[in-house]
Formats: sequence, C-alpha cells, structure tokens
Amino acid sequence: MVSRLALIKELASIVPEDVLVVSSIGNNSAFWGELAERESNLFHATLGMCSPAALGLALALPKRKVIALDADGNLILNLGVLGTVANENATNLIILVMDNRNYLGSHKKAPGMPTATGGKMKLQEVAKGCGIASSHTIQDVATFRETVQMGLKNDGPHFICAQIEAIDTDRPGKNKRIPDPRENKYQFAKYIERTSGVQILGGGLGNFG
Amino acid sequence: MKPEKAKLVVDGLKEAGVDFTAGVPDAQFIEVYKMLDADPDIRYVGTANEAEAVGVGFGAWFGGKKPALMLATSGLLVATYHLARINILHEVPLLVVIPYRGDIGDPRWMGLYKKTTEPGLNAMDIPYRVVSRPGDIVRTIKECNESARAWLRCIAVILNEEALW
Repeated sequence: MVSRLALIKELASIVPEDVLVVSSIGNNSAFWGELAERESNLFHATLGMCSPAALGLALALPKRKVIALDADGNLILNLGVLGTVANENATNLIILVMDNRNYLGSHKKAPGMPTATGGKMKLQEVAKGCGIASSHTIQDVATFRETVQMGLKNDGPHFICAQIEAIDTDRPGKNKRIPDPRENKYQFAKYIERTSGVQILGGGLGNFG
Repeated sequence: MKPEKAKLVVDGLKEAGVDFTAGVPDAQFIEVYKMLDADPDIRYVGTANEAEAVGVGFGAWFGGKKPALMLATSGLLVATYHLARINILHEVPLLVVIPYRGDIGDPRWMGLYKKTTEPGLNAMDIPYRVVSRPGDIVRTIKECNESARAWLRCIAVILNEEALW
C-alpha cells in the first residue's frame, strides 16, 4: 500500500502553482506545506470543513482549478457535501481524499480507531451515488498521478479516494513553517486578489466595495 | 411568513452587496430561501447541514464573494464549531441572518432557542443586532455586513417575530 508522503510528493510535482489547494488539518497540511511551499495554499481546514471550503472557492472562481486535499475522517463529518458538489456542478473542483481508514493514525505509531471506511463504507461508491460521475479509487503512485492529471485537464467535479497506509511511517523533515490561520488568510487572499482580479480584503476606511 | 417581509430581507442583502448565500431551508424563513434560489444576482447554495454552509461561505469569501449564511436558530447550533473557528481563529467575515424562533412572544415550544441563540453568539464572540421592526430590516442587514467586512468578523442579524410574521 502507498504512503501519504509518496502521494503528496507526487502531487507537489504535478500541480501547477495557479491551482488552489485547500488542505485538511493534520498531516495533509503538514506534509503539503513542507513539500509545496506556494502562495495558493489554504491550510488547516478542520472537522469537515475542507471540501465545503474548496467547493465555495470553486463556485466563486469558476475559471480556477481547486483541489480539496481532504481525509476520510474529516470528509465523513460533512459527507453531504458530495451531494452539494454534484448538484452545484462544480466542474473545476477535485476532491482528493487521503483515506487511511482510521482516526489519528497520522500521529501515532499504531493505527487509531477505525473510521467508517475502515469498515464497510466505500467512498468512491458514495461519491458516485451522490452524483459525481468521475469517481476513482487509487492505490499506487502511477495511477494517482494519471488520475490527478486527468482531473486537472478535464471538467469535473472529480473525486479521487487514495487508499493510503494506516499510519504515516515516512514523513518529510520539519524545515518549513506552516503559516497560522490568520497569516495564511492574508497571504492566500492577497494571492487570489492579485491573480484573479477580485477584491477580498477591506481597506478599513469604508472603501471595501 | 409574508412575501413582502421576505422581500425586505432579500432587499437588505442586495443593499449590502451580498452576492452569495448558503444554508438549509427553514420553515419560518422559507419564502426568503425561495426568493434567493430564484434570484439571478445572488447565488444560493443549498447544503446538507449548516456546518457545511459555513465551510462553503468561508471558501466563497476567499474567492471574492460577499457571502451570507441563512441559518435557523436550530441550524446555528449545528454550525457552531465552524462559525466559532472561522470567527475567532481565521477571522473571516460572514454575515449570519437568523429568523429568531424562541424569542419572547413566540407562542410555539421554541424557548430552547432563547437560551442558545444570543448566549451562543456571545460565546463565539459574534456581535449581533436583533431587529423587531420590518422598517429596520434593510438598513440593519446593510450595516452589519459593512462592519463584518471591515472588521473581518462574523456578525449576525436576528429577525424576530415582530419583524417577520
């Protein structure tokens, strides 16, 4: 089975700078921030907020590709978002789920308690049943690369469930400082203002549009 | 809810420049949801629960939209973790519009929401105004949204029975 680190390394090598990436809290944000230092990252989406935030971003900026770098436990908290993604037809959205099938496994030496995907739930089938026709499960780096590239090239929405090892035995070094939520907000908002021509932050003097 | 009252809420959102809304339909506010869904100037995203709506609104703000959440008093409880987080930790502004079930004068068994709505907003450090007169709806929504965007804070408008029904 493939590791989170191997897939996130691969993702960092194929995702262009202008693709917006919203990552869930924990090792998705930690590894992505370490391996892909870029202005187009929004980190630390917790407790079910990753895919919904990426959906809002995708609907607001239909000309930009948006990736939700989500996780099984996080997604399951707001699983209904898959129906919303399909119904809103977010064609520029890719939901990429690192499915390790357990809670808190990324921080332990042994797997944590199982998520629903550690039991009978199959996320690819859930996504397909919600109306996301382009739904995939991958278990190796080559298929991951091919599927993500397909998603970047073609209209979606796309759902990719990456079945990864239960615990993160490999991890990158801790050489980069991942910005805190406020710093990240200003950084990300300024990047989008600059590259998408929208106004997000206010001037504080009533000239905020 | 009378359609003319619902229209005041939508007019207020338009005056405020709101162009993106998310939420879950609520019986007491249903005319507002229907109008938003049909309005070409404001995108309405119907979500499966109110926490999801907060996430969608949060993302839309980063995409340059001026989002508002349409939350029932019950839905506010569902949305609590996400609202608290984005208001206190991220400091991202979302206007929250709430039809006030359970305010004094509500004849239904909704007293629970008197105990949870305003104390809940206070606990999340979300400033709010309670609107009791229909004539104040448009202005209050506009003012609350202006402050939310300037302060980078969530701000709520609570519309009670006198204002809406």
